[in-house]
Amino acid sequence: MLSRAERVRRTGEQALRLIAFAAIAALLWRAIRPPIATGVDVAGGDLRRALARWTLSATPAMRVVFDAAPDPGTRDWLRALARAGGSVRWSASRPISAAAVVAEPAAEPNGVTRVRLASANGEAVSLADGAGAIDTLPRGGARELELGTVAGAVRAAGATFTATSYARESVVLRPVLVLGAAGWESKFTIAALEERGWRVASRVRVAPNIDVTQGPLGSIDTARYAAVVVLDSTVAASSSEIARYARAGGGVILGGSAPRGGALTGIAPGRVGPRVAGVAGAVASGAPRTGLGGYPVSSPGADAVVLESRDGVAMIAARRLDAGRVMQVGYDETWRWRMAGGDESAAAHRAWWSRLVAAVAYAPLVPRESGLTPIDEAPLASLVDALGPSAPIDGRPTAPTDGARITRMLFILTVASLLGEWTSRRLRGAR
Amino acid sequence: MNSPHLSLPRSRFPLPGEFVFATAQYESGDWDSAPLVPANLIDSLARYTSLPVAPTGAIVALASDDLFRFPLVFLTGHLPVRFTDVERTNLRRFADRGGMLFVDDHNHDIDGAFHKTAVEELTRAVGPLSQLPNTHPIYSAFFKFPDGPPNTSHELNGWGDNLVHSHLLAAMRGNRIAVLYSNKDYSSEWGYHPDNKRFLAIDNTKFGVNIIVYALTR
Repeated sequence: MLSRAERVRRTGEQALRLIAFAAIAALLWRAIRPPIATGVDVAGGDLRRALARWTLSATPAMRVVFDAAPDPGTRDWLRALARAGGSVRWSASRPISAAAVVAEPAAEPNGVTRVRLASANGEAVSLADGAGAIDTLPRGGARELELGTVAGAVRAAGATFTATSYARESVVLRPVLVLGAAGWESKFTIAALEERGWRVASRVRVAPNIDVTQGPLGSIDTARYAAVVVLDSTVAASSSEIARYARAGGGVILGGSAPRGGALTGIAPGRVGPRVAGVAGAVASGAPRTGLGGYPVSSPGADAVVLESRDGVAMIAARRLDAGRVMQVGYDETWRWRMAGGDESAAAHRAWWSRLVAAVAYAPLVPRESGLTPIDEAPLASLVDALGPSAPIDGRPTAPTDGARITRMLFILTVASLLGEWTSRRLRGAR
Repeated sequence: MNSPHLSLPRSRFPLPGEFVFATAQYESGDWDSAPLVPANLIDSLARYTSLPVAPTGAIVALASDDLFRFPLVFLTGHLPVRFTDVERTNLRRFADRGGMLFVDDHNHDIDGAFHKTAVEELTRAVGPLSQLPNTHPIYSAFFKFPDGPPNTSHELNGWGDNLVHSHLLAAMRGNRIAVLYSNKDYSSEWGYHPDNKRFLAIDNTKFGVNIIVYALTR
């Protein structure tokens, strides 16, 4: 007959055995059960710590609720977890704005950086670089800026995203060749480009077989010139060379009646229409080019893109020609805009000519070492690219859980209960 | 002198691509002291170049907005020059936008009234004048003048200030001439009927062609 103490002892041993079996069963179940998602609310939790935990414990399924687009490091970490066999689902506690910013070198002199920004959802966006604020779009939208200097990366920030970009290349800009007859249009075109920072070579016809030249002159090829500006039809002798240059990747601007000259007719985006006069006095108005006369681009080719029209008539058109670009500019007295326009006309005339040349210029890109932080030009698009589209998650995500800790505790519990049961048995003399 | 006409009739506006030689009309002084110079330079330009040049010149008031239709303007006179505020403002805008004013001292007298006042006024309107190097591209824009500005018979004969001026003066905008100033009295040197060129061993208006070609190409 067992004493009361002995019975209690044996009951305890059975209980420890049961506990050990239960812990082993739990461990077995945890090993073979279907994956259960773990998640984190980044608004209230620490996503970085959760990522570290998930990585160490090889969490098979993860879900994240963002309140803003994650930074590239977090996004790439999640992408790596997903690629490593896990399942990552995400959603947003509020709509993340689809936004993008891109900074790239403009094919213009003086290191101009062109920044393009677009943002949806009507969210206010501030644009800044390392030196401070650049611009603000109170209701989002799109904007293009040309910045003379940019300190570090350009950052566009809204309530739900921060997009960054920087110009990763610089352009190689060779001189521009200006050809035409001596006259105010050639003089002021050369002046506008030079004042804007372009290196200009020119060959200006003054008399039969007499040209006034400046700058580096040589054969017309992309190794020597970024663009060729032909202002009239006096350069017929060089037209075949110019056409070859365009096909090889060069940029050509045909001004006024220039497409009438020899091989240039074949590369022009359209034909030269009958001359039209400008509107008297309009060069000093808000639409100064309506005051300029010129030769409209008539019958634009199927591959031509009309860039500017006036009263339904194309005044500027462009086309691609093999590797190069050709632009036909109907205006032939833009100098009047500069001389007789409003207070800002000289600067506007310079900028306009520079943009035309930049639009066609052959400007090879050279990567540059920056040492800047990784770019994140379109945070939402990159997030979708990395993790797929957002998936609705019912209810709030669970609090951060630690599967490894539970497993560890179950193991300790198993060992402790088995050890306790064995010790008890041996102390009472049983095997 | 009061200017009765401050704006040109439209018929005198330059045609597209056409060069019109313009003479500046200003309120003070005698702006029309060299009436034969335009015709003579137009004749030379037509002789030596293929530039489309208007057969007659134009007269444009410095105070008029029409000034901006003529990016090269010739100004001369004997008498003291005092620009009005409008003339001064227009001249500054003209230079800033790329126009070129060619000023010739028709007086070229000792301590001349035109020279002193014109230089003072031009300095106020456009900026200080300084010596133009004799290697400047204007001396090789069409004809070659390796020694700088050609001398005039008035200088060589010892008339006026009894000096042979070795340099022209200029006010610059960037690397371009905004005001070209001469003490050499080209207004007298070139002030004859173009038909009389045939009596000259060397055409003395060639430097005038250089000035116009420079203005049209640089």
